[in-house]
Amino acid sequence: MARAERPVRRLSPDRIKELILVGIIAGSVVIFGFIVDGYLSGRFFNRVTTSVVIVGILAAAQALVIFSRNIDLSVGSTVGVAAYLTADFLASNAWANPVVAMLVAMAVGAVLGAFNGVLVAYGKVPAIIVTLGTLALFRTLISLYSGGANVTAAELPDWVLDFNNITVFSVGGFDLRLVFLILVGVVVVLQWALRRLRAGRRLYAIGSNPDAAQQAGLAAPRLIWLSFVGAGTLAGLAGFMFMIRAGTISATAGAGLELEAVAAAVVGGVSIFGGSGTMFGAFLGAVLIDTLELSLVRVPEVSEFWRDAALGILILLAVILDATLQKRFNRRLKRDIRPPQQDTEARAMTVSAAEGGVADA
Amino acid sequence: MTDTRPILEIEGVSKRFDATQALKDVSMTLLPGEVHGLVGENGAGKSTLIKIMTGIHNADEGTMTLDGEAFVPQDAADAQLHGVAAIYQEPSIFPDLTVAENIFVGHQDRGWLVNWKTMMSDAEGILATLDIDTDPAMPAAGLTVAGQQAVEIAKAISLDTRVLIMDEPTAALSAHEVQRLFNQVRRLKESGVAVLFITHRLEELFEVCDRLSVFRDGQHISTRPMSEATEESIVREMVGRDPSDFFSRGEHPEGEVMLRVDSLDVAGKFADVTFEVRRGEVFGLAGLVGAGRTEVALALFGITPAERGTIELEGRRISVQSPNEALAHGIAYLSEDRRSLGLSLDQSVSANITLATLDRYTTSLGMVDRTAELEDARALREQLDIKTPDLDTPVGNLSGGNQQKTMLAKWLNTEPKVLILDEPTRGIDVGAKADVHGFIDDLARSGIAIILISSDLPEVLAMSDRVAVMKEGILTVILDKSQATQERVMEAAVGVS
Amino acid sequence: MRRWAASHRWEVFLMVALAITIVINALLSPFYLGVDNFVNLFWLSNEKIIVAVIMTFVIISGEIDLSVASVMGFSAAVMATFHEATTLPFVVAILAGLAAGALAGLIQGMVITRFGLPSLVVTLAGLIGFRGGARVLMEDESIGDFPVWFDQLGQQTLLGPFPLALLIFFVGLAVAWVILERGALGRRVYVIGNNAEVARFSGVAVDRVKLRLFITSGLVAGLAGVLFAARLGSVRGSLAEFYELDIITMVLLGGVSIFGGKGSMLGVTLALFTVLNIRNGLGLANVDGIIQTGVIGALLILSVLIPNITERLGKGSARREATAQAPP
Repeated sequence: MARAERPVRRLSPDRIKELILVGIIAGSVVIFGFIVDGYLSGRFFNRVTTSVVIVGILAAAQALVIFSRNIDLSVGSTVGVAAYLTADFLASNAWANPVVAMLVAMAVGAVLGAFNGVLVAYGKVPAIIVTLGTLALFRTLISLYSGGANVTAAELPDWVLDFNNITVFSVGGFDLRLVFLILVGVVVVLQWALRRLRAGRRLYAIGSNPDAAQQAGLAAPRLIWLSFVGAGTLAGLAGFMFMIRAGTISATAGAGLELEAVAAAVVGGVSIFGGSGTMFGAFLGAVLIDTLELSLVRVPEVSEFWRDAALGILILLAVILDATLQKRFNRRLKRDIRPPQQDTEARAMTVSAAEGGVADA
Repeated sequence: MTDTRPILEIEGVSKRFDATQALKDVSMTLLPGEVHGLVGENGAGKSTLIKIMTGIHNADEGTMTLDGEAFVPQDAADAQLHGVAAIYQEPSIFPDLTVAENIFVGHQDRGWLVNWKTMMSDAEGILATLDIDTDPAMPAAGLTVAGQQAVEIAKAISLDTRVLIMDEPTAALSAHEVQRLFNQVRRLKESGVAVLFITHRLEELFEVCDRLSVFRDGQHISTRPMSEATEESIVREMVGRDPSDFFSRGEHPEGEVMLRVDSLDVAGKFADVTFEVRRGEVFGLAGLVGAGRTEVALALFGITPAERGTIELEGRRISVQSPNEALAHGIAYLSEDRRSLGLSLDQSVSANITLATLDRYTTSLGMVDRTAELEDARALREQLDIKTPDLDTPVGNLSGGNQQKTMLAKWLNTEPKVLILDEPTRGIDVGAKADVHGFIDDLARSGIAIILISSDLPEVLAMSDRVAVMKEGILTVILDKSQATQERVMEAAVGVS
Repeated sequence: MRRWAASHRWEVFLMVALAITIVINALLSPFYLGVDNFVNLFWLSNEKIIVAVIMTFVIISGEIDLSVASVMGFSAAVMATFHEATTLPFVVAILAGLAAGALAGLIQGMVITRFGLPSLVVTLAGLIGFRGGARVLMEDESIGDFPVWFDQLGQQTLLGPFPLALLIFFVGLAVAWVILERGALGRRVYVIGNNAEVARFSGVAVDRVKLRLFITSGLVAGLAGVLFAARLGSVRGSLAEFYELDIITMVLLGGVSIFGGKGSMLGVTLALFTVLNIRNGLGLANVDGIIQTGVIGALLILSVLIPNITERLGKGSARREATAQAPP
């Protein structure tokens, strides 16, 4: 096999980024392990794996649209709408089980995502404007619907508040929570789909070079629309997760999550210009952010208020690293262009040789 | 081989863009297994023909027949489906996707899933037949231009392309890469593909082509077997026109040296370029597209500063590290790319004219002195006969010729000592062209040193006091007006040295 | 006049929208047309509209600054911390706050121009980071007890019915208007947003202009933060949180292209007035604030969608026209 002949296969930039992220996450866990007493405990693992779920799903949603050079700033509001409507639905339909509730939340998200997608793909309105508008609009809709009333935990079925703690299995103090498993499942399925489905590759192609995609007949609005539906559906799922976590749902549920989602995706190596990055990367970005947030508060010398400042610096470092990697990658291209002097001589030789060839023919 | 049925027949195709007749009644055929050369000066209609063949433009008149059936491509993707594809000087790839995906994207649409294993091994197979040593799993962004072109050729093979158009594919390649490309072309030919090969380098025609067609001014001049063509006959047919059709400049006295350039170097672009330009002289810079002429201009204007060598202005050595510095020294550069480098199309005519000289109209409070600005803009509008409803009209609304004049006005307003004109008459109509030639003469008379870069050979010869010829980054010869003939310049630019 | 209207279609639309809003509001409420209500109109949004003015420049130049609201909070926090931690005159604390804003802009502008990074990402990092900076300084406390004169500047009128912040807005708007329409800087900002390469090839120092815009954006945000602190009489780490989206919405609603190069101060001014009047009118009619936000969000989308649709409907004839006029 050809693969065997080339034993040293170079790693793709996406793989390198993922490995760097894994390294940073592992490194910071080790460092915090030295600083903080009793840091490496099952309890801490359980906290990270439950708290990362919402932002993790939203990072995936965000990545899905960023791959094709779009953005969705409305995911926070979508979370709010989905969480509220689902809670409201459960309050009056006590028979509903978690699967039904999840489907309701995802359906709500899908509808909102479809609305965004129509405006972006067919209305040709830049995604940043559409979703900035629907960020406000969706929030308004839920406020109107709620009339300012909250859905309280008491109105919800009992399983809602327990759902977050459902453990699939545990080793020592380390629990594998169902919600985390769902997140991992979502990421794995999306990673697979984006890599194996032709539609997934086309999404990358559109983001990588929109003009070339147009030329090759790839830039189907339907695909862009679908990516927004997908992002909305995921945001709906995140809305479900929000509901089971919060218990009491107000009309402001999920506000501000959109920027955290963009941040996680960007830290995870998803290029804001589209075309590059992976779902695993976005997931790792969310994990890194969450780990740092939860770890910093455990360091006695550092005030818990350093969280956001550290996050801002982290994002900045991530994009600078990304740009530097890209530059190094492109420099190879430059090196291969040799100065013209040698070329002229070489060309003169080859040409005279070729002339002889023509004469023979 | 040549008496097989043609793959593609082009019959009486014409195309008109407003005032310009880009193609006039062009007929030609492409045979399976042939490499068909196509040459002509800029504006001869080669690009228009390619765009019609690949469905980007529709022909006004005429028909195309592909394998005996009428061929009316709707767009580039449709043309590709029918087996007609084009590779350009700058390949359009997806930098973030892998090499293998770039080869197969968009046309392996059977089913929903990508079979990576098959795709990788197919890609390796195709790359191997082309003798390309590239890992198909790497992103295409890491490839050289030659590598990207190879990917496009591989894509053409995977598409079962039967007509492959190659538009100046060698312009950005090194000699070694050109040889490899030719090997790839020969393989395509062996498999029965018709290759339409466009180049400005005559030696390449002799090396790789079986037949040759020459275009001039939108018309098909000749098609003959390569063995019957000579360098002289090709040049004669390409040029056709008589330089006496052009504005002819009178003699004028030589001034002292204004600009002296010594051993200028930018790695990968040009090397060891030395020349001087006198006050009041028009110094022609001839050569093919990609020979390094524009790059020399960009170095003098500080966009890509020279890495070695010296620039002297009026006997004093100067350093030019940015356009700002160049302008401060009195060096101005009229770009060949009017739309993306020359003019801010949404802004008004007057704003464009004063863009490079804005500081002159800026009051101590940072405001633009509109009266002074309009006064100067009005004077330049009159001097250059810019036809515009008024000076507030967005410059994008003007015709090409008047846009060109506006751009010229911008640079004249900087009162340059050295004015570099890069293809100043490209894409403008005959009347505006004559106007521009008149201005160049006036400017030289007023004592400006002018460097005229042009691929229009009769134009360079008619306008220049001396002509320097560049070939592949080297300034090969400087000819006096009396020595400069079309044949000598062409030979220095493309000749088999 | 007809030509002006043809090339300023969006401004005309906003004028009509504004006029309709004013008429409806006047009919709905007898208090609407008073001077007090006019000042009241701005009262809760003084700081936002001050920042919207500089944001107009940033977006026309083809960039964006998402960090402004966080920089407002950060500057106010720096000022408050200075006040609490030192015995220096309060003016020094104010200056420190303003300097913090300018510094925030400088850092972000440097990263954007030196590394060639997209401002959307860099200022997103700024949004999160400078908010974090404010939190680090303030923790979850609130710092108040500023000098009385400072609180009065924020809470009382200074000249006639106008408080200081509103005066600053009007002066700033007038200056910005003149600079954008008549100034050399304005000219350069448009050209850079329209096509940065053309600007570079014409000797415009593109990076320097952008850097200055980001520094100014930070400084103005700092000023807005200080003014906000004066109006509130105290500072918290969450001061002005989430304001960035409101501010950007107002600018885009004014017809400024998110891709740069297009837009006018007139459009933005009309958009500001329209937004404030809609909010004010809906407020007088006792409509919830969140609905006001939704109306504005819908307007933002429509502001791009409607021209797109009319363009596509008229495409057949428009294209014919274009080819008839287009240069060869």
